[in-house]
Amino acid sequence: MNALVLGAGGFLGLNVVDVLAEAGVAVRCGRRARSNVLPLRQRRAELAAADLDAPAELAAAMAGCSVVVHAAGYYPRLSLDHRGALATAIAQMQRVLDAAAAAGVPRLIYVSSTATVAAAPSGPADESHVFSRPPGLGIYHDVKWAMEDLALRETRLEVVVACPGACLGPWDLRVGTSALLVATARGLDPPHPDGVINLVDVRDVALATWRLAGLPAPPRRVILAAGNHRLHALLEDLAGRYGQRRPSPPLSFDDAVALADREEARAALFGGRPAIAREIVDLVVHGVPVATGLARTVLGMRWRPLSDTLAAYDDWARRLRILPPPVLEKQP
Amino acid sequence: MNPRALDERIIALIADLTGIRPAEIKPRDRLREDLGMDSVTSMELLSLLAEELDLDIPVEEAVAVTTVEATLAMARRHAGAAAR
Repeated sequence: MNALVLGAGGFLGLNVVDVLAEAGVAVRCGRRARSNVLPLRQRRAELAAADLDAPAELAAAMAGCSVVVHAAGYYPRLSLDHRGALATAIAQMQRVLDAAAAAGVPRLIYVSSTATVAAAPSGPADESHVFSRPPGLGIYHDVKWAMEDLALRETRLEVVVACPGACLGPWDLRVGTSALLVATARGLDPPHPDGVINLVDVRDVALATWRLAGLPAPPRRVILAAGNHRLHALLEDLAGRYGQRRPSPPLSFDDAVALADREEARAALFGGRPAIAREIVDLVVHGVPVATGLARTVLGMRWRPLSDTLAAYDDWARRLRILPPPVLEKQP
Repeated sequence: MNPRALDERIIALIADLTGIRPAEIKPRDRLREDLGMDSVTSMELLSLLAEELDLDIPVEEAVAVTTVEATLAMARRHAGAAAR
């Protein structure tokens, strides 16, 4: 198997590269001109220019690959420009699909999100629960839906869509998904709404991606999530874990949206990160519990427990000074 | 690359990433507070440096770099190691 990983230098991408390399797969790592490739250089990985806005570059990077892992789907950093975000997301996905078709890639695995999983009438949702039109729950949801819809309509090559929940684990260098965890561990009492979030160890998502790459007849769409949690209860547990005071009560949806919108407007004007991002509010408030029977039966997934995920994250994040060192009890 | 040329190249890279003129960049400037870089941009700087000069910079070391002079010192150290 020869694989190209788009977004190889990112959080999920690095974990996919590690799993593929350990399995003996020849991995080519797609990268943008200005991206942090220090972790890939440490791995002595093969790098290939693969800017999603450069079709010829993409096709060249995909040449000779039996599988492409697309872990670089557009992620609108701010939820301020609905039309622009959708246009960028769709154009980039179309270029990836066109390049894969032109390069004769037989299979593409697109890493989407549980944001595209619609609520079930009762009980947890599964792969059959899809939105028939843009969900209208926020820019992030609509962008993810549009890219997945385009990918699933592709006929020139086999496309498999993986829908992971919020990933936690090593190599979240940008402190994306782990932002609330890090803020809680640092005692910052981050403002948050309450709702359902689906968590999964990023290493399990990487493992599932590898299995999807090699499966003779993979499912078209598969949910990857280890568990469903209420965010506020999770933050209470995390505050206890890191020796911090209990988090403040959750914000109402309206208050959370208002705060996120103010914060994003400030970030757009002055730079920096919003105290809470709008897509996080939307994801949490509109989150639905999901079932992962398909991943267990078809991919043989056995999800790591959250305690293992947090232990691995702590170890990695402390080495990189993202988390402070543990507070040691004074010796008598 | 001699040490002076190396320093000038690094300052040029910082100027390119931040939009600040090279003459205004001082060794004691902090990458984030003084030059307005965020964690992503500062890692991009070190990544660009590693690629251009073919240096092996561990991520753990890169995240500890917070000033211009620390960037220069780290590059000199790794460039020296690469030359040996």
